[in-house]
Amino acid sequence: MRVLVVEDDIDVQRFLRRALEEDGHTVDVANDGVTGETMAGDAAYDVLVFDRMLPKKEGQDIVRDLRSAGVSTPVLMLSAKAETHQRIEGLNAGANDYLGKPFEKDELLARVRALWHGRDRNGPVTRLQVGDLEMDLLARTVHRGGAKIDLQPREFRLLEYLMRHAGQVVTRTMLLEKVWDYHFDPQTNVIDVHISRLRAKIDRDFATPLLHTVRGSGYRLEA
Amino acid sequence: MFLVLVLALFFYVYYSTAIQVAREADDAVRREYALLASAYESGGLRELNQQVIERAAAEGPLQYMLADPEGRIIAGDFVALPDRELTGDAPQMFDFPYTVQVGNRTQDEEARAYMGRLLNGPILMISRDHREVRAAAARMTNALSWAVGIAIAFSIIAGIVAAWFAARRIEHFTETMKLVMAGDLTRRVGVIGWNDEHDILAKNLNDMLVRLEQLVHAQREAGDAIAHDLRTPLARLKQRIQDALEEPPNEEADRDALRKAQEETDRVLKTFNSVLQLARLNAAETWRFSRVELHTIVAEMVEFYEPAAEAAGLELTMQCSPYLVVMGDARLVAQALANLLDNAMKYTPEGGKVMVSTAARSDGRVEIRVADSGPGVPPELREEVQKRFVRLEKHRTSPGVGLGLSLVAAVAELHGGELMLEDGLTQAGTRGLAAVLVLPAAPPARRGPAL
Repeated sequence: MRVLVVEDDIDVQRFLRRALEEDGHTVDVANDGVTGETMAGDAAYDVLVFDRMLPKKEGQDIVRDLRSAGVSTPVLMLSAKAETHQRIEGLNAGANDYLGKPFEKDELLARVRALWHGRDRNGPVTRLQVGDLEMDLLARTVHRGGAKIDLQPREFRLLEYLMRHAGQVVTRTMLLEKVWDYHFDPQTNVIDVHISRLRAKIDRDFATPLLHTVRGSGYRLEA
Repeated sequence: MFLVLVLALFFYVYYSTAIQVAREADDAVRREYALLASAYESGGLRELNQQVIERAAAEGPLQYMLADPEGRIIAGDFVALPDRELTGDAPQMFDFPYTVQVGNRTQDEEARAYMGRLLNGPILMISRDHREVRAAAARMTNALSWAVGIAIAFSIIAGIVAAWFAARRIEHFTETMKLVMAGDLTRRVGVIGWNDEHDILAKNLNDMLVRLEQLVHAQREAGDAIAHDLRTPLARLKQRIQDALEEPPNEEADRDALRKAQEETDRVLKTFNSVLQLARLNAAETWRFSRVELHTIVAEMVEFYEPAAEAAGLELTMQCSPYLVVMGDARLVAQALANLLDNAMKYTPEGGKVMVSTAARSDGRVEIRVADSGPGVPPELREEVQKRFVRLEKHRTSPGVGLGLSLVAAVAELHGGELMLEDGLTQAGTRGLAAVLVLPAAPPARRGPAL
């Protein structure tokens, strides 16, 4: 996919470019807000990555103007200011996700992929399927290989998120933010335990595991 | 300004008194006229003539005149009628000029007269000259002038004294501020105890200085603690890199050194983020509070931690009173609770218990209590552990940074509440620890418009 990176810090810019290119994306870069906005307006990109504080025009203002000009390309905002209210401000301006600096490469790649996949959904989805695992979003039921699996409401949301991003790496922070709406960093391995509970329900009685641990980054649901 | 007021008052008093004196003079003249008119009615012209002669001869402020219907003088003080046309029966009040012989000089005077025609035509006039009124006014002017003069003199002296005093106090304030600016934060300005504006200002300045000193002290302490908490891992990191560089190149060892360096960097960043968040909480940033239902937050958080507790061999239970509402920032309260749960789970050994409860307190506030059956904190250290960056020596080896409790304390303070540490759950001889986050209850929700 084509990614536009607008970042004025040359080191961070180089890091972003290399990470995204390694992941198989085509990357263009801009150094300031005005150039970035002009390039983004072409709408030839699949994902836009903006720094929040840019010379000439702030990332947040660019997103707001792009959105009011009808450009709906998903935006990931990067910022050293990752406080809750700044995050909310960024999202209100029209950004689709917000990542605090410094960040892990895997975290960045996972979020960029998640944004791109999220965009392709046409209309509301009522069924999700990964391999022989099926989720009915209306009846709120889950079956694997025809057998019904009972899930707690939160487990259901966790699995739903994983299924919506099937095949992608999903980080612990992403799960914490998107499934629980928590924006702090628990000291204990809380997320891992939730995952292993879920894994026990969907994988234990079956020959092929679907929920994989990606060492050092997070998890991936894949058939 | 003061002078203008005094003069205005002066003129007001003068004129109102003058009017009053004149009115009284008029009344006296009218009364006298009525008296003599009734004497005429009962005793005729003879009686009236007698009265006028007697009264004119007597000492008094009034003058009299009686004339026959044709205007010829019969008796009284005047030698001629005033130049005034009498019309109708009603007596008239008017001013008229006359001259009076004083020694061998004539003097122009003016008098207030009440003149009328009695039954069958004789003319009676009672008058009162203006000398009386003028003399009264002069006496009054005299007295008032003195009063005003003294008042002005006093106010000028008082003004000079007050100004001098105020200047001295401002000078004292300025001196103190200069010392504070020079770095001596222990300076305070003097409060005299008069409760005047200067005292109020002095008290406010002192309150500000106390707060300033506290803040600077806290900053300094934080700075020291940050320096300590960051310098140690940074020094370790530098040492590791140095060691790796000094060794002969070895791919596996180098990768390992890099991995360890990365872990160390992560720890530094984590500490740094916590420190930053604490600093933001303590800075006077504006937070928009809303109504927060405690049991929702607590139930979700307990549900979130329950699997981890079970995995750690801990029994996590919850006892929630419904309908407890605080004014606050839901995310901060949730994070504070998460920190307390993190702490409780970290320090409670396997097989122990952690209980989260909410309750309305007898002092009208509400509390979130996280009690564990861990080793607890001795009472004498409880205040200490709430301070920034302090971790009990015992726990120095456990992972994590000693910012958890100080963040909870900062969240409590931001909400106008407090964090209290008490004994927790006893189990096999342990004291346990209960961290109690006390928050002010939200005022009852406003009702919708009555129908």
